[in-house]
Amino acid sequence: MTKTADDRRLDLLQGTLDMLILRTLQWGPQHGHGIGQAIRAQSDDLLKVETGSLYPALHRLEKRGWLKADWGISEANQRAKYYRLTAAGKAQLLREQDRWSQLVHAIGRIMNPAPASKEE
Amino acid sequence: MPPHERDLDDEIEGHLALAIKERVDRGEDPRAARLAALEEFGYVGAIHDSMRRVWYGRGYDAAEALARDIRIALRSLVRAKGLTSTVVVTLALGIGANAAIFSVVRSVLLRPLVNRDADRLLYIRQTARGIGTENLTFSMPEIGDLESRVTTISTFGDFSTVDFTLIGFGREPRVVTAGVVNGSFFEVMGLRPVLGRLLNAGDDGPKAAGVAVLTHRFWTTVLDRDPSVIGKTIRLGPGMATVVGVLEPSVPYPAETQIIANVVTSPHHLGATMVTDRTHRMTELFGRLAAGATLEAARAELASVHASMMRAHPEAYSARAQVQLHVTTFPDQIASPARTILLLLLAAAAVVFVIACSNVANLILGRSVRREAELVLRAALGAGPGALRRALLAESLVLCAAGAVLGLVLAQPLTAVAGRYAARFSVRALEATVDASVLWLGAGLALGAAVLLAYVPRLPTSDRSGGLGLAGGSLRMTPGTNRRLQIFAMTQIACSFVLLAGAGMLVATLNALQTAHTGYDMRHVLAIDVPPSATGVGSAATLDFFQEAVRRIGALPGVEGVAAGMIVPWRDPSAGLKFQFAFEGYQPADGEEDPTCRFRPVSPRFFAVLGVPTLAGRDFTDGDRDDTELVAIVNQSLAQRLFPSGDAVNRHLWFASRGKPRPRRIVGIVADVDDENVVQEPSLTVYYPLRQMGLPSRLFVRAAGDPYALVPALTRTIRAISADQGVERPTTLEDVRAEVLTPERLNAFVFSAFGGIALLIAVVGVAGVLAFSVSARTREFGVRLAVGSTPSQLLTRVLREGAAIVTAGITAGAAASYVLARVASTYLAAAHTPRVLPAVAAAAVLGAAAVIASLIPAARASRVDVLQALRSE
Repeated sequence: MTKTADDRRLDLLQGTLDMLILRTLQWGPQHGHGIGQAIRAQSDDLLKVETGSLYPALHRLEKRGWLKADWGISEANQRAKYYRLTAAGKAQLLREQDRWSQLVHAIGRIMNPAPASKEE
Repeated sequence: MPPHERDLDDEIEGHLALAIKERVDRGEDPRAARLAALEEFGYVGAIHDSMRRVWYGRGYDAAEALARDIRIALRSLVRAKGLTSTVVVTLALGIGANAAIFSVVRSVLLRPLVNRDADRLLYIRQTARGIGTENLTFSMPEIGDLESRVTTISTFGDFSTVDFTLIGFGREPRVVTAGVVNGSFFEVMGLRPVLGRLLNAGDDGPKAAGVAVLTHRFWTTVLDRDPSVIGKTIRLGPGMATVVGVLEPSVPYPAETQIIANVVTSPHHLGATMVTDRTHRMTELFGRLAAGATLEAARAELASVHASMMRAHPEAYSARAQVQLHVTTFPDQIASPARTILLLLLAAAAVVFVIACSNVANLILGRSVRREAELVLRAALGAGPGALRRALLAESLVLCAAGAVLGLVLAQPLTAVAGRYAARFSVRALEATVDASVLWLGAGLALGAAVLLAYVPRLPTSDRSGGLGLAGGSLRMTPGTNRRLQIFAMTQIACSFVLLAGAGMLVATLNALQTAHTGYDMRHVLAIDVPPSATGVGSAATLDFFQEAVRRIGALPGVEGVAAGMIVPWRDPSAGLKFQFAFEGYQPADGEEDPTCRFRPVSPRFFAVLGVPTLAGRDFTDGDRDDTELVAIVNQSLAQRLFPSGDAVNRHLWFASRGKPRPRRIVGIVADVDDENVVQEPSLTVYYPLRQMGLPSRLFVRAAGDPYALVPALTRTIRAISADQGVERPTTLEDVRAEVLTPERLNAFVFSAFGGIALLIAVVGVAGVLAFSVSARTREFGVRLAVGSTPSQLLTRVLREGAAIVTAGITAGAAASYVLARVASTYLAAAHTPRVLPAVAAAAVLGAAAVIASLIPAARASRVDVLQALRSE
């Protein structure tokens, strides 16, 4: 294992993986490997999704009706399962985004108190 | 592999291929790229596992854990062979008995009949309870009245039986019982043919051609399913008939017959008596509810039509007979005699199951106490109560599943036995087989038992004062556990007592029946049916035939005497042979009718052959013919009751009601015998000489040696006189009576078997509880011995403990039996009231067995080694 990469890497916050997957799929259908790579690339290699978490998450989302999967042929010329967002999935993504920004906001207020509270 | 898993594998393959391609595209060596991709991917098995959790939800974890626990349980149970086999066999007995009885109950009471719309098929009968007749049947004029006036019943079907000698199919002549029916019978019954056609309206009336339908049983067992029988002509008694079809398998009701033929085949059915005599009742009546009519409506209408019919013909319905009409649906009619006995059996089987379960609970409880240290350790290592319960459940599941499997294997032969047994009460019992629904029952019982057993043991708690500690490998009994053990043992004893007392009662009843005095010499007398229909000739010829048969058989070696009659005691129906007689010198009191007496035409030497002593006067002789003086013999009860001064001989008697009296002289008095009831009841009987009235159909042969050894010679002798003559059912009177008593014997046998199983299980249970209690208290006994108790005091102590359990169990059982008997007697008229002797015997047997069972543990207690016991902690 390369130590340096691991040191830089951030652990995913509990419950955010689903949101990231949904977000990634907003750009169009993708297979599991592609989703993993996309998350990694877009986070500047800071986030790495373990396959052991990714696939159960994909199946869980599929079971809840937020994703739909079809078999297709990948760039490696091999059968691969392509996931795409359903209407319910899009709605869920909006909800999660909302919750996420509220969470960021709330945590931000605690960690960096706003000038308003300084005035006291 | 399930599709889920296959897809996942494909998906993983696809992932790896992409990852490798990416690396190779970056310039890595393909081999190294593959290894790196695999390493990056991680353990594939782990993905599968977490996937299953996604697919199957939370249940997956629990199921997997249970599966693991079951594997552990299997291993640990294989080590505890003694316990495992005891538990499995006990459960198997409980489950097997229940499955077998349930199969029979289902086939008799629950499974639908093949008859189309069986619930709209009615069975109609007349009772005359005033003269003790539960089924009077109908005469043709009565059926005609009902048919013409009742509108709630669309069609009536009638059925009566007649015996024919059947000649045909290229086989030996044989006497068959034929159902004689009208053309709408099969339509009413809702039955179909498997071959050819059934009878229809075209077969009715005296002008039709003789046609016959074969029953399925006859066709399969005797004719080997030969399809070419259709269209064959057979000889039925005096006439001919064409075989037109084979009936589908169906309940042979009201009588088991070989063929069913139309009216024209039976001369009797065409005769004036049959057609016009309102009291000539021999026909059973079925009806099909008209569209829209309800059972209640049909009942009401039939009752009112019947009542007006009785008013119109008072001469045919004596007030004393209390003739009444009853309507039941066909399914009820054929199941009702079996219902009581089957429900009793079901209850007995349930009791056996309760006993089996509580015994197994005991064993499991004992085992779990021994395992307490293990459970405590598991709890200490972090197993929650759920996990511990699951471990226990896994073990009881394994045990119960094994018990269920063995039980269902046992159920197979048990069902056959129970079916044959219950066939005495309902023909449908023979259809009983073990099938899927019984498997469900077995599985349900096993699962129920497993869950129950898993919740019996107490789990270690965090409560340190509970006495459960990690330290020490030795057993400690907690008062709670001991009490539970004792309660289970008491339950077993109580249930066993109920069964044993019940069985004892049945055995006592049977014993009383078997040993009752009958007045006959039963062992040496062979009774043979020689049906007169087979000879197909008039009465004079029949009489001559019998006289010749008696003469020739009497000359055979080994024969001590021969006589002829009309009724084989207990075997032949004799309800019709009962008339009112008037006696010279006997004046009935005011309002009293002339006495009703049994009427029995017999041949000379009848009494000598059957071993009935002649008390006064003489026997009939060959000289008593229809052209000589009319004579009669009466039995002792009649003579004593009507002629208390002892002067019956030489008095005269005659039929009370029929036309001009023809007095006949009483020439003898014979001892009482009862040919209707297996236990002799007082009766008034009048014997006539066969030559003066009646038609013989039965031969009685008194043998010097083994009666059955005579049968071939007897058959040859009779056939030498008349080649087509049927010679049937040669049986000693002793065996006839035994046959009649078969249901009682079977009842006693079945309940004794249940009682025996229960006793066995209960004894094992008591011994187990005491043994466990002793081994858990080794230290206590050691201390007692150390402070001066003698071994014999310890022995008595343990015995007393056993006795206490048994006494409590028997007390509870006695109370339960008393209540059950009271409840039963309100529902079942036939329920026997509990008697003291069988109950005491059951208590004695149980008590003795329990004391013997507690001897072994008690002896062990008295042999405890003081030093070892004290050092053991």
